[in-house]
Amino acid sequence: MLTEVHVPEDVPAAVGLIVSGATVLGGGTSLMPALNDYGSPPTELVSLRRTGLSGITVTGSTVTIGATTTLSQIEHDSRLQILNPVVRSIASVPVRNLATVGGNLFVPQPYGDLAVALVALNARAVPAGGSGPAELPLERPALVTAVTFELPAPGVFKYVKAARRRWNSASLVTVAATIVELDGLVSGARVALGGVSDHIVRAAAVEEALLGRPLTEETVAAAARAGLGELSPADDAYASAWYRTRVFPVHLRRALLGR
Amino acid sequence: MKIVSLRVNGAGQAFIARPGTTLLLALREQLGLTGAKRGCAQGACGSCTVLLDGQPVVSCLVPAVTVDGAEIATIEGLADGQVLSDVQQAFLDGFATQCGFCTPGMIMSAEALLDRNPDPTRDEVNEAISGNVCRCTGYEPIVSAVLDAAARRRSRAGEGAKL
Amino acid sequence: MPRVNPIDTEYFKDERKAGDFTVIGTTVQRSDALGHVTGRTEFFEDRTFPDLAHVKIHRSAHHHARIDSVDCSEALKVPGVLRVITHRDVPSNWYVVLRLIGIEPNDEPVLAEDRVLYKGEPIVAVVADSEAAAIEGAARVRVGYTELPAVFDVEEALAPDAPVIKQAGTNYFVYEGHHARRLRFGDVERGFAQSDRIFEWRYSSAPIEHAPTETTGCIVVPQSSGRLLIHSNTQAAFFTLDNTALILDRPFTDLQVKGGTVGGGFGGKVDVMVEPLACIAATLTNRPVKFVYTREEEMQVSSPRAAERIYIKDGVTNDGRILARKVMLYVDAGAYSRHSPYGTTKACAHLPGPYTIPNVYADCHCVYTNRTPSSAMRGFGVTIADFALESQMDRIARALDLDPLQFRLRNAYRDGDLKAHRKVAEGTALIEVIQRAAALVGHELPDEYLALTSTTPRGEKA
Repeated sequence: MLTEVHVPEDVPAAVGLIVSGATVLGGGTSLMPALNDYGSPPTELVSLRRTGLSGITVTGSTVTIGATTTLSQIEHDSRLQILNPVVRSIASVPVRNLATVGGNLFVPQPYGDLAVALVALNARAVPAGGSGPAELPLERPALVTAVTFELPAPGVFKYVKAARRRWNSASLVTVAATIVELDGLVSGARVALGGVSDHIVRAAAVEEALLGRPLTEETVAAAARAGLGELSPADDAYASAWYRTRVFPVHLRRALLGR
Repeated sequence: MKIVSLRVNGAGQAFIARPGTTLLLALREQLGLTGAKRGCAQGACGSCTVLLDGQPVVSCLVPAVTVDGAEIATIEGLADGQVLSDVQQAFLDGFATQCGFCTPGMIMSAEALLDRNPDPTRDEVNEAISGNVCRCTGYEPIVSAVLDAAARRRSRAGEGAKL
Repeated sequence: MPRVNPIDTEYFKDERKAGDFTVIGTTVQRSDALGHVTGRTEFFEDRTFPDLAHVKIHRSAHHHARIDSVDCSEALKVPGVLRVITHRDVPSNWYVVLRLIGIEPNDEPVLAEDRVLYKGEPIVAVVADSEAAAIEGAARVRVGYTELPAVFDVEEALAPDAPVIKQAGTNYFVYEGHHARRLRFGDVERGFAQSDRIFEWRYSSAPIEHAPTETTGCIVVPQSSGRLLIHSNTQAAFFTLDNTALILDRPFTDLQVKGGTVGGGFGGKVDVMVEPLACIAATLTNRPVKFVYTREEEMQVSSPRAAERIYIKDGVTNDGRILARKVMLYVDAGAYSRHSPYGTTKACAHLPGPYTIPNVYADCHCVYTNRTPSSAMRGFGVTIADFALESQMDRIARALDLDPLQFRLRNAYRDGDLKAHRKVAEGTALIEVIQRAAALVGHELPDEYLALTSTTPRGEKA
């Protein structure tokens, strides 16, 4: 049962409350559904709404997005066109106006498509309290104040989310990737997958199968075959594990080749 | 328990909120504004959509104490006396209601869309209302009504410019 | 608004009087639309009462189990919990909503007693002064179970070795001494023998949830007169009033139902699920009480459209006349009757579809399983049967290389035909509807089919 909602005015106050056992509340779109309708042990929340963590800065090619920046703020920021299709593939307008970047890092699969994209972009999470930026996905929960990444060259970032409906539906398979080509061969590949496991999958076998080869149908098909071993999907209300596995190669191809 | 102050449809309001009191329940049970509905309390149906500082949100997922001082707009504030907003009138004229349960949330999403985008395409309307479930499945007349409302607003804005 | 399709006034114009149809074809504003667009339409939950208490339910964790123990002590310790309600607090715990039209036996408890027959079956109701406390209290009820073998398939439930899950002794509803609602017309075996071809296929459907945007609920307010005022979103106010009074063991005049405004129903709000417990809670606490399903309850335990399995065997001549149709139909009622015995009868009454077939045989079974009880939904009994019947018609037409519309016109019932239930068909109009539909989609029909009318009696040999 929800016993208290704290609304601290700065990060140190929030950290103090978290240390004493309170749960972080970002936009509430993942946490509040559970608290509204289900019993729970006594729960105190720390809303980050007033901690001053909202905002987007772009310096040169370095993007920094504050943890409480909403998905809608990203959607309407012309400097972040690269993430526009990503955030618009998530939930709906009245949810995106609440859901935060920081929160998206911690939602359970098959949600968290922005986090999938951030993994592909090699983004770092900036934790509260001084320790250095951490690679995504985070290994353990922490209060994140911002995420930061370098904007890739045009065309390098690829993103496809397959869902039951065009808008407002959870992931069946999400593919996010940054692919760098040099002299007709793949010289850099970072591939992240959503919807196909209980965690975001960094698809190392797919990356390895792409590196040093031309980005062709054959290469991508082989990479998809290599990637099958990295999938551990579950049956849920959106799709069966079988279906997710079956369509993964199709969506990998669509993401990487655009067809 | 905390005292929360809001500006709702332009008027100052204050109420005492329990920790679990969402913006939706505060509006409905403490301020008597029952236009926003509880259809799921999961952020999935959009029946509770209101504007929070001008942006549509699912008010069922917002603890009231976190938005102290905010500006809220609800369906009750749209009409000017007997005169309906363009979106309301277009929904009425276009038979875009059936059971009426989704209608207030649907209209608030449409108002927010037209505030941002006065001339949306049909596809943009679809995206804007994708968080609002009409289980009577009256989407076609709803989308048409939103486009009709956009045209009414633009024509009104054109008249204003001429004056 | 302009009409997409203008009203066709050509058909049956001799049967209309001048001055008929002054409303059809014109635009008439809905009487409730202004309330809808202004948010002023008053749904049951749009009322607030001081001192409102809330009911939440502890539900079965198993599909089929014996209840060994129920421990409410932790629930009662939750601050705000006013009391718990078990089956002992329900004056007349066993009911079947259709008893109002003579269906028996009462096969469902309002709250489970010594066993549960489906996952999600209500066992304990918790009344609290806040919704959160009621949820917390319900979560803290502890029930001890011994799991029993469960059956989830209609045909497995009817097998001789199936566990009998119903206290009445059969896993099927008994229709006037019979295992099924039966239809017998002509001699179906002789019809098959006279046919050139036999076609037999199986059709099945899954349960379908209505998913109304407004979940099922009510608020019950004790009146100073001692009566109970029930604000409900039921689709069946009088069914609700009468059944609730019978469960409460109180005169019908003790209750008043205020309703009619329904945030989506589609048949999902005709069962009597929330009012009896809300009335009991209101009586025991003497406070206004709200009982409204969460979204998960609406999706998981409100009754869906029944799953059905239908076998259709047809005997047909090479030129497309159906001489015999045999149907084995199984409605999955789930754990309890609700409206399914009636829905199954409707399915039987709908057979063999809108076709005149001289030999018909059908057994329509209302079968109990350990699945969520199913009930009414938009044309229940008829809708899935139609899916099966019309799929069958298309497949036969394809197999015989016949035009599917001509095949239907060939067998379409006409005014004056004797239907399988010994009722003379009237006002059939199927032939004209098919002809018009064909014209609208540009599907050409030969003159002999265009010349057919539903009012021309079928010849002896046709």
